[in-house]
Amino acid sequence: MRYMMNAMRMNLRRAAQYRASFLMQICSQIVMTGGDLWAMLMLLERYGRMGHWEGREILFFFGAMHLVFSVTEMINRGLGHFGSSIRSGAFDTMLTRPRRLLTQVLLSELDPRRVGTMAVGITAMAVATALIGIEWTVWKVLLLLWSMTATVCLMLGLFLLEAVICFFSVQSIEMVNILTYGGRQTCQYPVDLYPDFIRILFTYVVPVALCLQYPVSRVLGRPMAAGIPDGLLWLCPLAGPGFLALMTLFWCFGVRRYRSTGS
Amino acid sequence: MRYRAYTTAFRVEARQQTRYRGAAMGGIVTQVFFGLILVALYDTLSGGTDEGFRRTATYVWLQQIFFRAYFNLDSELNDQVMTGNVAYSMLRPVDLHSWWFWRAMAQKIITIAMRILPMLLLQLLLPERWRLLPPADIPAFVQFAFSLLIGFMIICQINLICSAISMRTLDNKGITAMINLLMMILAGNIIPLTLVPDRLQTLIRLQPFAQLLDAPIRMYQGMASPGEWLAAAALQLGWLVLLWGLCRWMWSRNLLRIEVQGG
Repeated sequence: MRYMMNAMRMNLRRAAQYRASFLMQICSQIVMTGGDLWAMLMLLERYGRMGHWEGREILFFFGAMHLVFSVTEMINRGLGHFGSSIRSGAFDTMLTRPRRLLTQVLLSELDPRRVGTMAVGITAMAVATALIGIEWTVWKVLLLLWSMTATVCLMLGLFLLEAVICFFSVQSIEMVNILTYGGRQTCQYPVDLYPDFIRILFTYVVPVALCLQYPVSRVLGRPMAAGIPDGLLWLCPLAGPGFLALMTLFWCFGVRRYRSTGS
Repeated sequence: MRYRAYTTAFRVEARQQTRYRGAAMGGIVTQVFFGLILVALYDTLSGGTDEGFRRTATYVWLQQIFFRAYFNLDSELNDQVMTGNVAYSMLRPVDLHSWWFWRAMAQKIITIAMRILPMLLLQLLLPERWRLLPPADIPAFVQFAFSLLIGFMIICQINLICSAISMRTLDNKGITAMINLLMMILAGNIIPLTLVPDRLQTLIRLQPFAQLLDAPIRMYQGMASPGEWLAAAALQLGWLVLLWGLCRWMWSRNLLRIEVQGG
C-alpha cells in the first residue's frame, strides 16, 4: 500500500514536469470519450430510442461503462505497454526487485491522465440520474458500486490476459483488443441491442454485461431482455473477480516459464 | 529530373511496406470485428428499413477497410525530429515536404492495398444482410477511386501538418493525438456522417475532414446528379489545395528557423 501511494506520487510528479503536454493529453482523452458521446447523441436524435431503451437510460449505461473502463486504464497502463517492456528488458529489472511483480507492473505507469475520461463518465451518469429521476436506496448504491468494482476486476483480467500472451509471443497481439477495447465499444450500449452471438459473447464468455449491465438495469428498474432471475443479480458480478483470479494464476504460470529476450 | 527523387522515395517506401504482411493480419481481424459490432448495432436501430440500413452497412465497411490510412505511419519522421537527425535530411538536395509527402502516400497506398482483399473476403463470411454492397454503377466506382486518391493526399497533408507542429513543440503526443481524434470523429469513422441529423448535413459535408473518406464513400454509393458530383469533387480539390499550401508554408517556415536538439 505504501508502495502504491509512492508510485502514484511519482507518476503525478512525472506528469507535472510536462504540464502543457499533460493538459493536452487530458483534453484529448476527453475528446475521445466525447466522440463516442457525440455518436450516441446523433444516433438518439435520428432513432429516438434504442430498442426498448430510452435515451436517458442509454446515457446511464454509457457513463457506467466509460467510468469503469477509464478506472481500469488508469491502473493498468503498465500492462498496456507490457510488450515493449519485455522487449526493452524493463521487465527483467522488475524481476530483481523485492516487491510483488504484479504490483510493480500495474503501478509502474499509473496514469493520472484518465481523470478526464472518468469525469465524462461520472457526468453522464449524473445527468442520466437526474433525467430518469432514480430513487436511490442503500441497496441500489451498493449494487452499483459492487458491480462497477467487479467490472474493473474483469477488465484488469482481460488486460492481464493480453500481457500473458506477450510471454509467449513477444509481439503483442492486436487481436486481444477485440476483448478489451471491443468490450468497451460494444458494452457502452446495453448488450440486448445486439444479435444473440454478440450478446452471449459479452455476457458469458467475456462477462462484461453480466458484471455491469444486468445489475445496472436493475438499478434503473428495467430488466434486460433475456433477463436473469432477481435472486442471482448480486452473484453475477462475482464473475469479474473470478476472472481476475483465474488470469492471475495464468500470469504466475507465464512468469515461471518466462525467458528474457536478452539485451 | 527533379521528380526522379520523389518517385524513388515512393518506390522504396512501397517496397518496404510489403514486408509487414504478417503483422497486417491481426489488425484486419480486429477491424472486421469492430465493423461487425457497428453493423449489428445499426441493424437493430434502423428497425427493418432495409434500403437505408444496407447503405449504412456499406459505409461502415468502407470506413473499416480504409481505416489505417488515417494514421501517420511514418515513424521515421517523428524519430528524426526527436533525435535531431532531421538535420541530415535537410542536407539532401530535395524539397523536404514533397519528399515526406510521397513517402507517406506510398505507405498509405501499400498498407491499404494489402488489406483490401482479406477484408473483403472476411466480411463475405457474414450473413448477406450485413455485407458490403457493390458500387452503385461503373461511373460511381471511377468517381470513388479518383476521389479516394485525393482523400489520401489530404490525409497526408494533415499528417504532415501534425509533424510540422511537433517539430516546433517537440511533443508528438498531445496535439497530434487531438487532431487524430478530431479526424476520427469528423471523418465518419466513429459514426457514419450519413447518420448525422439532416439539419447538420450541409455543415458536416463542407468541413475538411469529410473530404478524406466520407466524400469518396458517398460517390461509391452513387450521386444524385452529375452536378452534385462536380460540386463534391470541386470541394475536395479545394480543400486539398488549401491544406497543401498551409502545410508547405508551415514546413518552409519551420526549416528556416529550426533548432536541432542535442549533438
